[in-house]
Amino acid sequence: MFKKILFATSATEASDHAARVAFNMAGTLKAHLNLFHVLGVPTRGFSQVVFDVKTKKEVSVDDEYISWVEEEVKNYYSNQLADGVVDCSIKASVGFPHREILRQAREIEPDLIILGGTTGSDEDSVYKSSTGSTLQRVAKAAPCPILVVNRSAASFWGGLSNIVFGTDFSKASDKAFDFALKIAMSLNCELHLFHALDISSTHMGMSMSQDEIEQKIREAYRKIRFKYVSRMKDRKNYSMDVWEGIPYVEIVKYSREKHADLIVMAHNSRKLDIDGSKIGSNMEQVIMRAGCPVISVNR
Amino acid sequence: MKKILIVDDDPNIRDYLVSLLEDNGYATCTATDVRDGLKVAKENKPDLITLDLEMPGEWGPRFYRQLAQDDELKNTPVIVISGLSGNDYAISKAVATLSKPFDREELLSIIKENII
Repeated sequence: MFKKILFATSATEASDHAARVAFNMAGTLKAHLNLFHVLGVPTRGFSQVVFDVKTKKEVSVDDEYISWVEEEVKNYYSNQLADGVVDCSIKASVGFPHREILRQAREIEPDLIILGGTTGSDEDSVYKSSTGSTLQRVAKAAPCPILVVNRSAASFWGGLSNIVFGTDFSKASDKAFDFALKIAMSLNCELHLFHALDISSTHMGMSMSQDEIEQKIREAYRKIRFKYVSRMKDRKNYSMDVWEGIPYVEIVKYSREKHADLIVMAHNSRKLDIDGSKIGSNMEQVIMRAGCPVISVNR
Repeated sequence: MKKILIVDDDPNIRDYLVSLLEDNGYATCTATDVRDGLKVAKENKPDLITLDLEMPGEWGPRFYRQLAQDDELKNTPVIVISGLSGNDYAISKAVATLSKPFDREELLSIIKENII
């Protein structure tokens, strides 16, 4: 399923929860794990002087320094690497995180990119101010799905058996469904098909009567059957639900209810032209709030 | 006598908890992993469970998930004892979460509050 996973890490505590997911996934799926660390941003232009995010010092970067940082990353993950279960390579680089991550992704062509959440300490100001935009930019341009572990609660807790697929019935969601189904089949997981009916009045410009809401819920069930259930052939290990509410809240609640180990969604699926747009407010909020890793499928 | 089930793969922690709890007037039973834990829980119907998170094979949260599906066991209070970071969030219905190394007095007082 996944042969190559790119894990973009700060090699600090802030990435620990994502690391737990990355190492466990790579181990279970027998995938190659590429640990990629952007060690700092040049102080100006193409300067060799770089502000190292780990040591918090300005350093002059050369090949020797980079290999020293790679050794540091290796040491940081020595526990995970000790048993030799995960086939792993390490690369450090200099530049703006999103650009370097995308460059690395183009180079090694991974099947999945794993990103952590915002860094915890206030001292990590270089990342703190840009992690949101790093995630946005990587998600927007990534050549493959990205998996985000934003909260420590969203880390790996011992297995993968329930996958929630959130849909808004767009074309992008169809792609995300293919991806979710593929994971569910290869890992023998239960797949929960979910649609949240948006009843927030600001969005609809009016409030709906309960009859209207329930009519729309029935329609959504029919759509789920038509679009997705029909493509699962003889598969029995699934459930489907439609809840009304504010979409991201409902998806987070539903995932908690179903003990989801993973949420799969298409990002910004209402707007297919992705130039200049963000990843979509629902997707963003689900990533921020979910209690499990979230995979955003881009194309 | 109230009975407490200890689920932990580390024999040192198990032994420590058994002697601590028995010295304080509780009966104990132990399990080393999730599967064993569910079996022992069904047989013994403990009044409280202490649960480690990271264990070989399935992890603690999956133990809780299966426990929650058993009508007779679903309301058994669970105390998470783990060295894993972010462990407060692993089982939202746990009555308490303690990080290793934990304070014995704190554990005993949580048990006292939650065992009925």
